[in-house]
Amino acid sequence: MPTLEATDLSKRYGSRTAVDGLSFAAQQGEIIGLLGPNGAGKTTTIRLLTTILRPSGGSFSVAGITGDHPARIRERIGVLPESAGYPGRPTGREYLRYAARLFGRDRSKAAAVADRLLTDVGLGERAGSRIATYSRGMRQRLGIARALINDPQVVFLDEPTLGLDPAGQREVLATVRQIARERGATVVLSTHTLTEVEQLCNSVVILQQGRLLASGTVADVISTVGTRRSGHLRVPADLTRAAAAALAAVPGLGITESPDQPGVLTLDTATGAQQPWDDVLRALLAAGIHVLSFDTEATRLSDAFLSLTSPDEVPIPGSLEEHRP
Amino acid sequence: MSTTAVETTAHRPAESGGWPVVAEEETRELWIGGRGPILLFAFSILLSAITYLAASNRAMNFLEQREAVNLTVQVALSVGVLLTLVVSADAISGERERGTLEVLLLTPVSRRAILGGKLFAAMTLWLACLVVVLPYLWVLGRGVAVAGQAALLAFCVGTSVALGLAGLGLLISTVSSSNKTSLAAGLLMLLVLFAPTQLPALPKTGFGELLIRINPIGSALHYLSQVLVGRRAWTHDLSYLASPVILAVLVCVVFLVAGPAIVKLHAGVSPE
Repeated sequence: MPTLEATDLSKRYGSRTAVDGLSFAAQQGEIIGLLGPNGAGKTTTIRLLTTILRPSGGSFSVAGITGDHPARIRERIGVLPESAGYPGRPTGREYLRYAARLFGRDRSKAAAVADRLLTDVGLGERAGSRIATYSRGMRQRLGIARALINDPQVVFLDEPTLGLDPAGQREVLATVRQIARERGATVVLSTHTLTEVEQLCNSVVILQQGRLLASGTVADVISTVGTRRSGHLRVPADLTRAAAAALAAVPGLGITESPDQPGVLTLDTATGAQQPWDDVLRALLAAGIHVLSFDTEATRLSDAFLSLTSPDEVPIPGSLEEHRP
Repeated sequence: MSTTAVETTAHRPAESGGWPVVAEEETRELWIGGRGPILLFAFSILLSAITYLAASNRAMNFLEQREAVNLTVQVALSVGVLLTLVVSADAISGERERGTLEVLLLTPVSRRAILGGKLFAAMTLWLACLVVVLPYLWVLGRGVAVAGQAALLAFCVGTSVALGLAGLGLLISTVSSSNKTSLAAGLLMLLVLFAPTQLPALPKTGFGELLIRINPIGSALHYLSQVLVGRRAWTHDLSYLASPVILAVLVCVVFLVAGPAIVKLHAGVSPE
């Protein structure tokens, strides 16, 4: 049984539809990435699943509890809302103790869990400092600690790395990974940073204007938009033209010469091309061209995301019409 | 960083619904955060000035001793209620503006409990005002044994008025899109209720009496003066307390019935 399941979930504000017929599911211990451009409905989806908003249609269940029992769902989830505010006066320890007591823990247990979580997120030494003195990254980590205060079965993190420096992002992402791995919690991660999703998430849900564009594993989503791949070929500078001419015979291959780097060719395969690199190397060997280096890279999630969310704006480097010699 | 394995049990608030936890935190924030002491300090300055004026008027026989006590109780009630309203009007809209409301709504504590806790915290300011006024009443009421009676009246009548108006302030706060709007609307409401009590020649029959009776502040102040200055029995004009008591009860009923629907992430009356 999925830990998190949405079926035909919708949210309308008058004539505006924020979420339109969304369906997806996530299993225990899974990290699911919620992606989409600004205004796609990511935050609304999280607010629906966390019972802050009431759906206009459809149904959902979280941690085995159906959406018509919001208080029971809130007992089992942890949430780091987008742009969460923090009171300035209390210390990190006081803040977490209060949060723990709101979840029904007595004073001594609240104090214990607050101290443990502060240590877990690396704020143990600043536990007694006022939140007003915390940096943005420290506040985000405090927010994650607060989201874990009730040992949740499902954790929702809305833009947890927003505004953090690279070191802060890395720390937060490591925590997210540990939440899923060591706690066995399902994590819903809403973010704009697609490299994070590729590194962390088992599956993704891509939204646009409230509608589901794609869902599944990262590989599944990439495959829905084709398997465009690119490669970088380096040959002796005086053989650049000869290499380009030899490769012109390879079907479905785009070739771009680098004006700044003589001897370097960027190769790009069109959607649907199969086994292109074998043909590339075969053509070069047949022409007697010495290959200095050859690196390939697969289509990334960011390519798939751009292709899905703004297909007309996706640049196709080295398109066939433009670069065929 | 390391995390600890998940426990499978759900954490839910105590049988009380969590309102004592919210009340404790809100009260701590009010008093340790500094807003409560500042408001109370301003209240005591004002009360000192009023007491000085009342005492000097009494010394010159412009004011009877009972009238001086009554004046002080009336000022204490009016200003104490005003301060309570200021605190309650900030309760929800302020959290909304600071971005801390969503986190509170994400806990299993019910929205009724959130309202109850915040109302309790606001009421502590009224109770503190009441404590501050006691020595002033003792000074002004010495010799005529009216200080105790005035203090008890202020507690009973004032608490009823403060509860009703603080509740109204809280309701305004739930539907206000900004903290400024909430405070302005609350103060305007108080001004509308308080202004008629200062009219010098409001007729005591017919429409004039109706105006006094439906106004929770006006009727409460009238009742106080009837008992403290007119030396009426407590039970004689008890019907004047109908409007403050009804308001307090009504506000509590609205909280119980409509609490879950009105405490929302976004202000307004549209459903979320």
